[in-house]
Amino acid sequence: MKRIFVLVLLVAFALLANMSLVTADMHDWWADAAAPYAGTTIRGVSESTPPSNYVADVLAAQFTELTGINVEFETTSWDQMYSKAINDMEANTGIYDFVYIEQDIIYSYLAQDYLVNLTQFAADHMDLAYAEYDESAFTSFADYFKNADGDLFGVPMEAFVKVYLYRQDLFGDMDIQAAFAEQYGYDLAPAESFEQYRDIAEFFTAYGESMDMDLWGTTVQGSTGHPASTYEFLESIGPSFGLYNWGINLETGSAQSAHGGALDGDTAVEALSYWVGMLPFAPPEATSSTWDEVASSFAAGRAAQGWVYGENAAWIATDESRSAVTGNVGVRLPVTAPGVIEAAEMGEGYIGYYDGGAFGIPHSSRNKEATMLWLQFIGQPSVQAEWAAAGARITHTATFDDPLIAEQDAKVDGYYTLLEEQGPLFAGAPPFPFHAQVREIIDPFIHRVILGELTPADGLSQAAVAVDEELARLGYGM
Amino acid sequence: MRNPRTGWLLLSPTLIILLIFGFAPFIYVLVVGFHQWNVFAAEDGLLFNGLDNFRRLVFDEDFLHSVGLTVRFAVFAIGSQVVLGFLLAQLLTRDFPGKALFRIIHTLPLMVAPIAVGAIWRLLVIPGFGPVPFFLDRWFDLQYQIGSYPDQALWTSIIMDIWHWTPFVTLTMLAGLSSIPREPVEQAKVDGASRFQVFWYVTLPFLRPVLLTTVFIRIMDAIRTVDEVWMLAGGGPGTRFTGIYIWRVVFPRTDYGYGSSISIITLYLTIVLCWLLFIAISGRRKGDIE
Repeated sequence: MKRIFVLVLLVAFALLANMSLVTADMHDWWADAAAPYAGTTIRGVSESTPPSNYVADVLAAQFTELTGINVEFETTSWDQMYSKAINDMEANTGIYDFVYIEQDIIYSYLAQDYLVNLTQFAADHMDLAYAEYDESAFTSFADYFKNADGDLFGVPMEAFVKVYLYRQDLFGDMDIQAAFAEQYGYDLAPAESFEQYRDIAEFFTAYGESMDMDLWGTTVQGSTGHPASTYEFLESIGPSFGLYNWGINLETGSAQSAHGGALDGDTAVEALSYWVGMLPFAPPEATSSTWDEVASSFAAGRAAQGWVYGENAAWIATDESRSAVTGNVGVRLPVTAPGVIEAAEMGEGYIGYYDGGAFGIPHSSRNKEATMLWLQFIGQPSVQAEWAAAGARITHTATFDDPLIAEQDAKVDGYYTLLEEQGPLFAGAPPFPFHAQVREIIDPFIHRVILGELTPADGLSQAAVAVDEELARLGYGM
Repeated sequence: MRNPRTGWLLLSPTLIILLIFGFAPFIYVLVVGFHQWNVFAAEDGLLFNGLDNFRRLVFDEDFLHSVGLTVRFAVFAIGSQVVLGFLLAQLLTRDFPGKALFRIIHTLPLMVAPIAVGAIWRLLVIPGFGPVPFFLDRWFDLQYQIGSYPDQALWTSIIMDIWHWTPFVTLTMLAGLSSIPREPVEQAKVDGASRFQVFWYVTLPFLRPVLLTTVFIRIMDAIRTVDEVWMLAGGGPGTRFTGIYIWRVVFPRTDYGYGSSISIITLYLTIVLCWLLFIAISGRRKGDIE
């Protein structure tokens, strides 16, 4: 018995020693690899989102401690982030060593050859290759950041989908359920059709008014001074009705139905009409709301249901310091029109936007080696789980099975499971090398439809003509 | 020191800096304005397209609309600032209890960066969170939503600009009023002139150079307003002024050629507007300037 006890002790000691050696080795590797660059400062720019803020607040400090390389990470507004990154890369000034590449802009960046081929760079600098960093560990979302040869141009740092959030406390209230059933003739439950979604939105708006509560039926990301409204229509509402690729036919280079496009087609008009029809049931801030304000509105308990970006799901459901609805957040797939899910399952469409981004190194960077170390640091498996729990983003396949995520999954009503199992129903943005240029053309028309200055049919018809003109100017059109 | 060469030598550092940071960029914008240049176009680089950009902006409804909005913004904002600034300057020429404190508080907005002014006002007026829409709704049953009503967004921008820049006008007017000699004013009063006549025939002519300079500065500022309005309403309907329109064309759309041509036309319109005002206020006409 005594021998067994000693043996167990020895084995435990050996395991602990091994673990500490591995950890020490890991520390040594980072310190050794980074030795030539210690004291260097690398600079990056990104949008201020939960995953980016985690990078700025947590990962950057850890990396600096291990390597002696300082990370100055600027988290700013979405539009400023784009302007700064593009201006820097275009002018080749080298201010930023790494930039945030949103999935939808990667095609524009690749077309302009702004980014370093990370796969090639790693192969050329084997002394900088960290053993735990493995490109094949990423989910299929990483494919959006690869070229035709399969080379990676950005290390995925966030990936999420826009989901249907609803208030479990309101939907589960017996009195509310009875009132709803009496008024609409069916049971209150998370919407499975657009008609149900509208009924629920109408019901809770009236309920909020009758109870003198600051409660409305739905969120609408309807800012009239920001592209967020165009994005919600083109990338969330449109696809859920069956409008794909912004209604632009890349083969004919047209958005007009008469030339193979669909931006002014019946499906687009139906989708836009439905969406602006939700405005009377949305909080008054809806026409000033971008994705940030939508998340804040929902977290403040001002909407019973809504379309909310998944990166916000975790903090809305769990962070009591910022959210008034913790523990009461339900998560479902967004509502879709008949046939849309089936089309997505067959690979002939998608139900919404698989959003996310990566960090890439611009050619203009003066500190590529040090930045490559940084990108491997954020791309290694050991930092993924806590980052995923904080930012509701998953970029590694293995992260789905992490116990921390399983625990968090239960608090967010299975959001991570939904992301893993239903994620393939969503898709990244269409491969446009003119993404921002054309979206800027569409914005004013969507804004005017929201304001009621144009009907959805007129707005989309005029937008389609304007898009075709811009495509022709850019050299991609007819 | 009277040697012109010495004068030029002393001026040369300033002239060199102006040449590099003022004249050279202007020439660059002028050249780009005659080209088609979008970095995300299928064919990259500058393509000479003559006057196409300028022809295009004549038919660009968004641009013309932005000019109209900017003019409305400038007229109402600057007009109000001049009137309020003059009245406040008059007030500050007199003694009253708490004058020093009033002067400090009144001048505070001037010290706030435009981007911060925009952020403060956005927090004040954003529906659902800001106190202004809340109390307007509660007390007067008024729906105040700058995202839904372009006129409300425009007027909020104007009021914000008045709040921000009236202290500047007050200070310049105060300087102007302080420099008016007392004799003509007293003489006019002795001769029986009314307060309006003193203002119209004595004070105003003396104030004219200060007024002219102040209005010119404010016009140029108003026409290029971007940051505070951008923060307030994102340049949505009602606030898509020319400066914001240029920003959108140049940055998100990366249409550098067209953006440059709009910038040139906007500069030209600013010069013409200032010149017309100069003639109107100073009373000078062709042949007067010798």
